[in-house]
Amino acid sequence: MLTTPSFEYLLLSPMLIILAAAVIGVLAEAFLDRNHLPVIQLFISVGAILLALIQIYRIKSSSSTSAAIGSVVIDKATIYLQGTILIIGLLALLLISDQEQFVAQASAIPGSREEQESTSKGSIQTEIYPLLSFALAGMMLFTCASDLITLFVALEVFSLPLYLLAGLSRRRRLLSQEAALKYFLLGAYSSAFFLFGAAFLYGISGSVYLVDISSAVSGGYGNDVFVLIGLIFISVGLLFKISAVPFHAWTPDVYQGAPTSVTAFMAAATKVAAFGAILRIFYVVFSPIANQWRPIISVIAIITMVFGSAVAIAQRDVKRMLAYSSIAHAGFILTAVLALNKSGLSAALFYLTTYGLSTLAAFGIITLIRDATGEVTDLNKWAGLGKKSPLIAGSFAFLLLSFAGIPLTSGFIGKFAIFSAAYETGNIAVVVFGVLSSALAAFFYIRVILLMFVAQSQNDSISIAIPSVKSRIAIGATTAATVILGLFPSLLLNITQSFSIFIK
Amino acid sequence: MSILTVMMLICVIGAGMLFFIPTAKTVLVKQISLAISILVALIGIYLVGSLDKTQSGMQFVEIRNWIPTFGINYSVGVDGISAVLILMSVLLVPIVLLATWNESENGRWSVRTFQILVLILEVFMIGVFAATDLFLFYVFFEAMLIPVYFLIAGYGSGERAAAAVKFLLYSLFGGLLMLAAIIGTYVIAGNQIGKTFDIEKLSTLQIDQTTQNLLFLGFFLAFAIKAPLWPFHTWLPDAARSATTGTSVLLVGVLDKVGTYGMIKFCLKLFPEASRYFTPWIIGLALVSIIYGAIVAIGQKDIRGLIAFTSISHFGFITMGIFAMTTQGMSGANLYMFNHAFSTAALFLIAGWMIARRKSANIADFGGLQRVTPVMAWSFFIAGLSSLALPGLASFVSEFLVLVGTFTRYPVAAVIGTIGIILAALYILIPVQRALHGQTLKSNENLSDLDIRERVAIAPVILLIILLGLFPKPILDLINPAAKTVITSNGFSDPVSKVKK
Amino acid sequence: MIRTALEVGMTKSPEAILFWVLAPLSVLAAIGMLLVKKAVHSALLLAWVMISLAIFYIAQEALFLGIVQIVVYTGAVMMLFLFILMLVGVDSADSLLENIKYLRPIAVTAAIGIGGLLVSLIGRATISHNAYGLSIANQNGNVQGLAQLLFTKYVWAFEVISALLITAALGAMVLAHSNKVRSKFSQRDLSAARFRGKKLAEAAGLPGPGVYALHNAVDVPARLPDGSAAATSISRVLEARGDVLESKQFELQQSEDESSDK
Repeated sequence: MLTTPSFEYLLLSPMLIILAAAVIGVLAEAFLDRNHLPVIQLFISVGAILLALIQIYRIKSSSSTSAAIGSVVIDKATIYLQGTILIIGLLALLLISDQEQFVAQASAIPGSREEQESTSKGSIQTEIYPLLSFALAGMMLFTCASDLITLFVALEVFSLPLYLLAGLSRRRRLLSQEAALKYFLLGAYSSAFFLFGAAFLYGISGSVYLVDISSAVSGGYGNDVFVLIGLIFISVGLLFKISAVPFHAWTPDVYQGAPTSVTAFMAAATKVAAFGAILRIFYVVFSPIANQWRPIISVIAIITMVFGSAVAIAQRDVKRMLAYSSIAHAGFILTAVLALNKSGLSAALFYLTTYGLSTLAAFGIITLIRDATGEVTDLNKWAGLGKKSPLIAGSFAFLLLSFAGIPLTSGFIGKFAIFSAAYETGNIAVVVFGVLSSALAAFFYIRVILLMFVAQSQNDSISIAIPSVKSRIAIGATTAATVILGLFPSLLLNITQSFSIFIK
Repeated sequence: MSILTVMMLICVIGAGMLFFIPTAKTVLVKQISLAISILVALIGIYLVGSLDKTQSGMQFVEIRNWIPTFGINYSVGVDGISAVLILMSVLLVPIVLLATWNESENGRWSVRTFQILVLILEVFMIGVFAATDLFLFYVFFEAMLIPVYFLIAGYGSGERAAAAVKFLLYSLFGGLLMLAAIIGTYVIAGNQIGKTFDIEKLSTLQIDQTTQNLLFLGFFLAFAIKAPLWPFHTWLPDAARSATTGTSVLLVGVLDKVGTYGMIKFCLKLFPEASRYFTPWIIGLALVSIIYGAIVAIGQKDIRGLIAFTSISHFGFITMGIFAMTTQGMSGANLYMFNHAFSTAALFLIAGWMIARRKSANIADFGGLQRVTPVMAWSFFIAGLSSLALPGLASFVSEFLVLVGTFTRYPVAAVIGTIGIILAALYILIPVQRALHGQTLKSNENLSDLDIRERVAIAPVILLIILLGLFPKPILDLINPAAKTVITSNGFSDPVSKVKK
Repeated sequence: MIRTALEVGMTKSPEAILFWVLAPLSVLAAIGMLLVKKAVHSALLLAWVMISLAIFYIAQEALFLGIVQIVVYTGAVMMLFLFILMLVGVDSADSLLENIKYLRPIAVTAAIGIGGLLVSLIGRATISHNAYGLSIANQNGNVQGLAQLLFTKYVWAFEVISALLITAALGAMVLAHSNKVRSKFSQRDLSAARFRGKKLAEAAGLPGPGVYALHNAVDVPARLPDGSAAATSISRVLEARGDVLESKQFELQQSEDESSDK
């Protein structure tokens, strides 16, 4: 009576490789000599990501809805998103492997003698590597999950490691732990919302598979009220992950508290994964009832853009500022969800990639600006950075301009693509609010540039750390990508165009 | 490869070369950038000389795929109007570089950075006038802000940071509104004729009146801020007061022209019906600008503020000429753009020298310069007279054409505009009288006259002002066919002309 | 086998009786959980709620779910919770400070609002609609049915959960396990430390709790020769819980008279 489930292992291999790497990492943690662990773990993680990327390349033109008995759908968009997540993961890994930002002994009480001793002994929490791999695998699964249960499991698989990683900052540990706790609690709430919504959708369709829910929704049988409740609660869970207003409250605290390289990874990769799922759900499942949810999502997109840009102006901490800017960017990408057409999907994929890379670069640069107590995130202390290191300050300024969407940067092309896709479906109000909040956002980006280049520096306490080769590769590659994709966006646009296909 | 691309490439290569020269070798850096800008200027002259005047279409066209996904091309080309403006830009750059030879030395950053910024700005200036692809135009239009921003913030004086930010935010705000309108146009094009940004193709779109009005406003606001037209002008005086002389010249002389150029190229061309709909309002704004700019100019104490406000008045004239929708008005406006660049450049440059010598920008601190520094005083005098449109000097021809062109359609507006001329006499002659003539103040006794470099720099400008006042024909010949095309191809017709040129 | 939801709710079977007995109790327990002051009580009430839920599950033919609910939640999670509370949580008081003004009324309003909304929506959707029981799903037995689903249809999600569990274990290790930076204190070290401490009096060990004529327990402090209560004679935990009794009341009346005579 039981039929043996069959898997298409080749299609699942990118995820399986990363999961395997994570498990091997855990085993290595248990059995191998601590002194060699950092190198071994880095080797395992990087090797796995590279292998997974090769697999992604090998399956780039395949598609299947039965790779894991209907729980996973491998299509063009999935492959693109997984590839993006892996690349972001690889670059973030290079930043993270500069262990200096991580606490030496997470179990030591902040400020205790044990903490001091383990720090001076140079111990290292190498567990971050398997944790990161788990997060990566969860994110990859999140973009391709095609039933609600897998979606929920994937959500938890990538969230849990992030909660942990957020609490491992070496400096200002209490802040970091508070951030982790906040992230964890709010994340748990949002997961509950998601689950609640999923239950309702199961209720109306009698199935957890997206394709069945989609036909139930469009077929009109079932119950409209349940559809809406399910839709809204599922959206709450997902919007939390992309930090859309009003589910954004965790973002600034977590971005600020987490170790900067983890923030970089979180900001870049979580957005890709969460938007991957949002795009799939709205494009595949809920597009037949677009008229019902478009007004809601439009309002959320507008509020998110405007609020994120407006509040960012008041920030005095560069990480908080980037957090609010990431909120605003979430609003921009939401307009692509509203577009519900192929150019919208392609624009979203482009935007996610370029934004992810620029964000990595920006946070990567933040890790370099230091004083005696560690990283300096107070903007006032950034005054006069342009004089100290024109290259670093110039790169940061360029990245900010890209966030602001100034032409000849990748950010501009992304905004253009997204807004024109949204305009095509007649969301003119969203477009107008979008450009206006871009202007608003430009204000604080410009202020930072002004601060770095024009303001007089009050103190000379800050210094710019000489980046290690790994950081140099990560920051250099991501900054270069921002430049190149600004000048020659076709390189990526052609790819996103051909990869913007969802199958049911 | 089009000659236009060549010009831009030379500037880019030049900027790249400068990047590899040690910061300390300031003289070498300056010499190289001057040489490059002169080379480009010569090519510019050749470009204008070899333009086929009988043809009204685009010439020296080059089209390359840039972002095929969106139908975006790198496409450049010039007609008479843009060729003249490119000529204006490339002529001004070497003059500015030579005239403000030492200005970049007390900036926040190195001389090298200054020169690189100027050369990059030159690329964008050529590009913005040469672009025949709406998207490409927008890219140059916005990208231009960045070097100017750094030029003001890094090398200016006084409240330079605030002025730079104000300039940038105003422009960005306008630019982003324009972006929304561009997206709108692009989407409409996508529905009607396929995705394209080609201006010629876009001008064939059928857009209903309401949409057209909204899109027009998006474009117009951006250009009105840039131009600047009252009430969007407040950034200009601040920027002009804080920027270095050279930056002010490029800002007022070239960048602001992009606003009026955009009105001709995009507002009129893409949205003829909307243009017609808004014409009365815009003429009204232009008149307010003329009168307001002039009156405020009279009250100015700072000599750079004075010049900035006269420019606002002049831009009022240009806008009025454009929206009069007559061939003469259009030609006049175009010629005005060209002339204004040089007379304002002369005023700014000499004012800059005066300020540098006297260490004060206050008009009241000068006096009797005529006796101490005759060459400087005379040059200022001539530039001032050109600015108030004295017959025989360059601005006269253009202002006359604008007023005549406007008169045939909007006589009342033309008459009110004439008040601007009278006020112009006041705002120019009062400071001239105060600063140049009269008792030489004690503190001014030891001021030195222009040296050789400064004379070499200012001479061609003064010469051009006088020559174009006497023989405007070569430039007008270039402009006229294009201006006529703009008017006729957009369905406007000249009212029966009462005054023949 | 399809009955309307309303019918199901009104069954006159023992299930209905069970529901009407247990449901109010579990709601009361849930409310009580929020209102009681002590964390231990709160945890116990929560356990009660969970057990009631398990009974409901079983009554509604979901046998496996009911058992799992008891074994995992009530048995494992809640007990673990209690252990942790007893180990560390007793003397850490919750801060009852409200950082945001009017948070309470806002929260109450929002809760009532969303609750009312949901009740009305679900009511509108359920009443006079068909409801499916579990009889079809349970055809081959409840556990067998679940197993079949878990190992065929949902095997992927089931397997992926292992990643979640490993992460959780790893996380617990990261946060709680410390690699020894230095060797543990030996008996010898501790003894040496005691004698090098500030007070020599402490070297002999702390005093035991009070022994009185009327009372003899760990919650009463001993009395020092000078008549004061010895604070160190009582466990810190009892003190934090507020379970310490005043030692004076257990002293012999006589001694008090003596002191008053002086």
